Amino acid sequence: MALLEIKNLHARIGDTDILHGINLTINRGEVHAIMGPNGSGKSTLSYVLSGRNGYEITEGDILLDGESLLEMEADERARAGMFLAFQYPVELPGVGGMAFLRAAVNARLREQGEDEVDQLGFVKLVRAKANELGIKDDMLKRAVNVGFSGGEKKRYEILQMALLNPSIAILDETDSGLDIDALKIVSEGVNSQRGPEIGMVVITHYQRLLSHIVPDFVHILSAGKIVKTGDKSLALDVEENGYSDMMENANVA
Amino acid sequence: MSPDTITLSSVQNRAQERFAETGWPAKKAEAWKYTSLENLVSASLQPANDISGAVATPKEIAGPHCRLVFHGGQFRDDLSDALPAGVRLVMLGDDESALAAIDELGASDNLVSRLTVAKMTAGISLQVAQGALIDRPVMLQFVGGAPAASSHPVIHIDIGDGAHFAYAEHHETNNRLSAPFIVVRVGAGAKLDHVKLQLENAATHHLGLTCLSLGERADVNSMSLSLGGALSRLETHVRLEGEYGELGLSSIYLGKNDQHHDMTTRVAHEVANCNSRQIIRGVLDDNARGVFQGQVRVAPHAQKTDGQQMSRALLLSRDAEADAKPELEIFADDVVCSHGATVGELDETHLFYLQSRGIDEAEARAMLIDAFLVEAVAEIRHQGFAELFRPFLSGWQVPHKG
Ligand SMILES: Nc1ncnc2c1ncn2[C@@H]1O[C@H](COP(=O)(O)OP(=O)(O)O)[C@@H](O)[C@H]1O
Ligand SMILES: [Mg+2]
Repeated sequence: MALLEIKNLHARIGDTDILHGINLTINRGEVHAIMGPNGSGKSTLSYVLSGRNGYEITEGDILLDGESLLEMEADERARAGMFLAFQYPVELPGVGGMAFLRAAVNARLREQGEDEVDQLGFVKLVRAKANELGIKDDMLKRAVNVGFSGGEKKRYEILQMALLNPSIAILDETDSGLDIDALKIVSEGVNSQRGPEIGMVVITHYQRLLSHIVPDFVHILSAGKIVKTGDKSLALDVEENGYSDMMENANVA
Repeated sequence: MSPDTITLSSVQNRAQERFAETGWPAKKAEAWKYTSLENLVSASLQPANDISGAVATPKEIAGPHCRLVFHGGQFRDDLSDALPAGVRLVMLGDDESALAAIDELGASDNLVSRLTVAKMTAGISLQVAQGALIDRPVMLQFVGGAPAASSHPVIHIDIGDGAHFAYAEHHETNNRLSAPFIVVRVGAGAKLDHVKLQLENAATHHLGLTCLSLGERADVNSMSLSLGGALSRLETHVRLEGEYGELGLSSIYLGKNDQHHDMTTRVAHEVANCNSRQIIRGVLDDNARGVFQGQVRVAPHAQKTDGQQMSRALLLSRDAEADAKPELEIFADDVVCSHGATVGELDETHLFYLQSRGIDEAEARAMLIDAFLVEAVAEIRHQGFAELFRPFLSGWQVPHKG
């Protein structure tokens, strides 16, 4: 059975239709890249998949392991294995980072019928994973995302992904705001989580990220529709020729 | 009238005359603009005189403190602990300077300073010796009472120069009206830690007045929590009377159902070089209403004053309401004073971020409410008081009906 199936998905915010019939099937072990110009609906798709309020699904369905997600709240989806690395991670003043990470991990463990983590062991685990991502100890002590640089926020998203061990991860422009060294570290962090059980959707504007996280499939999103699908060479096409050619061709086709 | 002729009954008589003159605040009185006492005025209240019944200390309140118990409005020496060395307790009538201070405060037009002295149900005076460093906090415990009764304890605390003292208040009565009047003189170089827990029963009205005066280099850290009661007003007046005084005066109110919480502060910088800092946080659910009135007055010669005040209210329901009335009256030119008041709701983006990590809505809300309060809680300097305080915040949180 497919891991995630997006079927003819139409979605709107208020009176504005944004997604116009998206079809996409992701199997375990696959990495799909979604590329597209600004405003094409990439973040909207990521929010709709993860269950953010305020989006109306006017048609279609989203299935995770064959079960429709549409009636599930964001937290239920997350506990079922969905993870979104935000394009703009949210600052939570006053919410301690460690308490936040532990609440998230415990919520997932409870769902799986497992014991909650013990505090000391958890702190060690977090430190070790953080270290791999070049996250300093002092960042872990701060409030969630508060006072983090753009790059630090992105690393912190990947740290959360590593701790939550999702079955489907959506990374929304994780490369934006990263310099080349940070990009390498973050990509290594993501690659180390690749495996036969997890599916990934890597959303990006640029080909650059995809030379580090090499996708199995590349889809081009334009005006709320997937207009082209190919393998990793499609990303190189975009890099050379830009989106406009491709979109014109797609519109003609 | 010379101070050596002052007696308890003369002070009470004067308070009765003053109260007869001014009575309950008029509906249009500016100081009571947001808080109506109509319910109380129409009730026939009897000053409490019930001294029967056992007194159980709720386990959340138990601790290493020295308890002084006011039950049914009366001071219960028999239920109270022996005071630590360096602290002396005398009956108010036997402390002329305390009586004089109370009489003087009754001259200004304030409801509680008149009403409570007029109808006094108990009066004690605590004297902390000069230079005494008192480790063990005193817990003033107000319990018992009856639904048609009002209790009017008057407490004077004198903290001698250079002394260190800490006291907590625990209010959990069954009275219709609980109106404690507490007057504290903090001597030069003295240090005071204070925490107040207003946990009155659901039908109780709480009108508390605390008047503090700070001498030179006095250092006060105070935190109040208003959690219980049908209607409450926690009013605090502070006079900074000696240079280099330090005042931290913070409060948190948490309201649900039809509760009404009023936090009113009046800080007077009478002299130069003092700091005052007030952090106020309120969370209101259902139809609850919160009021913060904060007056900071800087006298003409009180240069180099630093007066900060920040009030924030968080509304969890469309029917909740918060009002804030900051008032800065600055007559000096070389000062740093600021105030701010905001009213907001939980941020949808914050909730989504937490929920996207698998944290359910109720827990996510609780985390964000805690986060909203954390800055105020951090103001509590006394470690033991911080520990005493915190459980009431988390205990207040209930899963929200989404
Ligand atoms: N809250 C919103 N209300 C109305 N329109 C929105 C809202 N959020 C995004 N949009 C619109 O939806 C389209 C897709 O936006 P988005 O999904 O953020 O694109 P991308 O991530 O590909 O840059 C854009 O035209 C944008 O203006
Ligand atoms: Mg986007």
